[in-house]
Amino acid sequence: MSYLDLSIEEIHKALVAKQVLPSELVSEAYDRAQKYQKDLNAFVSFRIQALKEAQNLDGKEITNPLFGIPYAMKDNYSVKGELSTGSSNILKDYYPVYDATVVKKLKEAGAVSIGKTVLDELGLGGTGTNGNTGVVKNPWAIERISGGSSAGSAAAVSAGIVPFAIGSDTGDSVRKPAAYCGCVGFKPSWGRISRFGLFPFATSLDHVAYFTRTVKDAAYLLENLAGKDPKDMTCSIKPVEQYVEKLNPELKGKKLAIIKSINESLGNPLVRTNFEQVLLKLKEAGVEIIEEDIDMRLLKAIYPIYMVISSSEATSNNANLDGIKFGPREKGTDFLDSIIKTRTVGFSELVKRRFVFGGYCLAKENQKELLLRAQKIRRLIVNEVQRILAKCEAIFLPATGSIAPKFTEKNDEKLSVAYLIGENHLAIGNFAGLPSLTLPSGFVDGLPVGVNIMGKAFEEQEVLNISLGIETLLARYKGQIAKRGGE
Amino acid sequence: MNYETIIGIEIHCELKTKTKMFSSAPNSFAAQPNTQVSPVDMAFPGTLPTVNKKAVEYAIMASTALGLTIDDTLIFDRKNYFYSDLPKGYQITQQQRPIGRDGSLEITIGGQKKTIRIERLHMEEDTAKQLHFNDYTLIDYNRCGVPLIEIVSHPDIRSGEEAAAYVEKLRSILLYTGVSDVKMEEGSMRCDVNVSLRPEGSKKFGVKTEIKNLNSIANVRRAVDYEVERQKQILLSGGKISPETRRFDETSKQTVLMRKKTSAVDYKYFTEPNIVPIHLSADWIKKIKDNLPELPDARKERYRQMGLNDYDAEVLVVDKDFSDFFEEVVVVCQQPKLAANWMISSVQAVLNKLGTSDLGSLKFGPAQLGQLIKMLDVGKVSSKQAKELFEDLVLTGKDPELLAKEKNMVQISDDKQILAWVKEVLEKNPQAIETYKNGRTNILGFLVGQVLKLSQGKANPALVSQLLKEEIEK
Repeated sequence: MSYLDLSIEEIHKALVAKQVLPSELVSEAYDRAQKYQKDLNAFVSFRIQALKEAQNLDGKEITNPLFGIPYAMKDNYSVKGELSTGSSNILKDYYPVYDATVVKKLKEAGAVSIGKTVLDELGLGGTGTNGNTGVVKNPWAIERISGGSSAGSAAAVSAGIVPFAIGSDTGDSVRKPAAYCGCVGFKPSWGRISRFGLFPFATSLDHVAYFTRTVKDAAYLLENLAGKDPKDMTCSIKPVEQYVEKLNPELKGKKLAIIKSINESLGNPLVRTNFEQVLLKLKEAGVEIIEEDIDMRLLKAIYPIYMVISSSEATSNNANLDGIKFGPREKGTDFLDSIIKTRTVGFSELVKRRFVFGGYCLAKENQKELLLRAQKIRRLIVNEVQRILAKCEAIFLPATGSIAPKFTEKNDEKLSVAYLIGENHLAIGNFAGLPSLTLPSGFVDGLPVGVNIMGKAFEEQEVLNISLGIETLLARYKGQIAKRGGE
Repeated sequence: MNYETIIGIEIHCELKTKTKMFSSAPNSFAAQPNTQVSPVDMAFPGTLPTVNKKAVEYAIMASTALGLTIDDTLIFDRKNYFYSDLPKGYQITQQQRPIGRDGSLEITIGGQKKTIRIERLHMEEDTAKQLHFNDYTLIDYNRCGVPLIEIVSHPDIRSGEEAAAYVEKLRSILLYTGVSDVKMEEGSMRCDVNVSLRPEGSKKFGVKTEIKNLNSIANVRRAVDYEVERQKQILLSGGKISPETRRFDETSKQTVLMRKKTSAVDYKYFTEPNIVPIHLSADWIKKIKDNLPELPDARKERYRQMGLNDYDAEVLVVDKDFSDFFEEVVVVCQQPKLAANWMISSVQAVLNKLGTSDLGSLKFGPAQLGQLIKMLDVGKVSSKQAKELFEDLVLTGKDPELLAKEKNMVQISDDKQILAWVKEVLEKNPQAIETYKNGRTNILGFLVGQVLKLSQGKANPALVSQLLKEEIEK
């Protein structure tokens, strides 16, 4: 067994006890990343300088639980002087001049990035199949998707390359791949972690989020990443709490809500069975479950309004990618011709489709009917969730409606309830900016599945506590790493 | 047919903040290209806007000065379009909720006052500056993100003269608030004028053209006058005005076509999601309003109360530096009316000669001019001497007392000395005493002249006149 297979907490203990050195950890993580690259394709780029950086940490005083811990970073964060592509051809040679706040905080904590991971181009997409460097494979079964858009980060944690990885979550881009890959995925409240330096997809829905192997590790990371940032006006000034110290797995007396129509919409009955089993365990542990519901018309609207709002914001947010200031530039007869050609070759079909759709939703003649209406429905859904949250500590949800699909599976049923609700309900957490954590809850057909806890805004502690309680109940899935072919 | 001219004016002003509207890069006019730039200004992926509080304060000051109502919720919008001078692919502006609404200012045309209503004042960011060459374009991002306020008038303006008066008044008010340099020639104040004609009596607006980038108030008037005539000729000959953007060509003194306005561009405005609505507290707004510097109209009123006539007051306040100079002169000499005369005639003449309005280019300051006026006022020098001294002051900038001493021209106000001269003159002119006593008192002027001549021009004329009267009437 390697120290790398452990949690941040356990590795930290070993580092403090001088049983292992940062350089040994980073070197092994780097080797594993290289070794699995052919199978998984989780990385866009590797940081050879990580080895040197880790050596410099050897023997230094350990000041932080993240000190000397190797990690991976989704390639949609700005890292000064290092290739940051957004998995898009339009940024294939882009070397930023500044560090994202998250990158800066991790550097200051002494964590060492071993590389940048693949995403669905610019964060648009949920499969990990739309990055410009190829598809990301699920470490549990390489014929299956890892989920996206934080595909490479999910795969890297799941495969045991790193104990944590940074992702981003606009619809469910961390919490769904976490379920498919059998790890913990946490998206804190909108405004809890600074977005400065995160390549924007849809501003009002974008969250910094991350993968860990345990709930406690998620608390360690939150303590290090959260907090006000003068560079992000939407970032809250609420003080950062002592999440780790205040962790408490006691479930007895907690009140959790379930949402009937969501649970009944899951496409795979075995996934539902898994959810029901966990629900039973929660009841046994003394959790009071209240059954709530949301109008099906609202739930069915989640996916369409997500597409309208996110595409509208995305088309404007990405209008800076024109080849004039950075990135590859195509020659044209004038600047507009050059911009058109640059963007035509720079974006994939999926991204272009969404930008065109977003532009259509923003157009003067359509905006009221599409964007403004979507925003109203978003408000109605948020009101419903707040109504339910007022009665309980958090909402208990299935993380997905199915296990990770095969690359060959085609989902032609985009208007089915199983897709519209069962595969998209986690976006509620983005609509309302709520803290939402996915953790492993077992296996279906040999593949990991997960459950999700969605709490009140800025009540991360409650979400972490309940999640820790569930993790304790489901102890055998805690800290699991994908079995790799032949190992 | 007679036509009525309809004019609306949009003015952009750069605010004099230390940093840019949404980034911490310095806001400076004359720096080397592309040195005053932050990653936010270049729209590098992941950067976010942060609102400059000082710019908001300045916008509130400008709004207050123009009588606009302040919106206490600050909301920004995105104006989306692709252009090489627009790094983000959108401009952050205020479309739905301008910070100021519904104000006005008063202009005076031929002694008649007229109110021009102002529709809105909103905040936005400037674009990059482009330098076009034959086969390439250079972009300077220094200007990118500089805070702007845009002030939009109602179409209440009816002539080139009114248009120029509106711009001049607006410029003067903004200058007094201190929020902008308002230099049209440097582009810190830019003026776009919309002109249309309609048959007199008609309620419907005609097709308008927009004249862009006028770089002086004189050109605003010239451009409008030309454009009105151009449109009139087209309409009179049965033609139609086409909606287009024009610019004023200084050499030919004509407006020339820049581009046709095709179907209106859709800017796809929507609320800027990176800036959550900011509530501006009533206390903060009040504090800013209370600290607003004195505005030109208030200053003019104060000048009237100091005893100046309308014309003098008006002329003095137009240029704030000129008016400030005047006030410092008054502090020293305590004679507003005299000071106003000297400023409007003598000082203005010197500036005209130098071809500048910059008082800093004068060799003397307000204290010296004040001193000179005081010397005149207390009778130390005659007005003829004062004029001579002023010429020396312009050339040397020396202390007027010193100049007077050098020229040995200090006026004599010594009673005994003057009385001696008076007696000498009266002895030589006994018939003049008779004439005076017979009622022809204007002979006194002749006698004063004789005394002054005797004193080589140094005797204080008022004193001479007084002593002469006393002696004759003894």
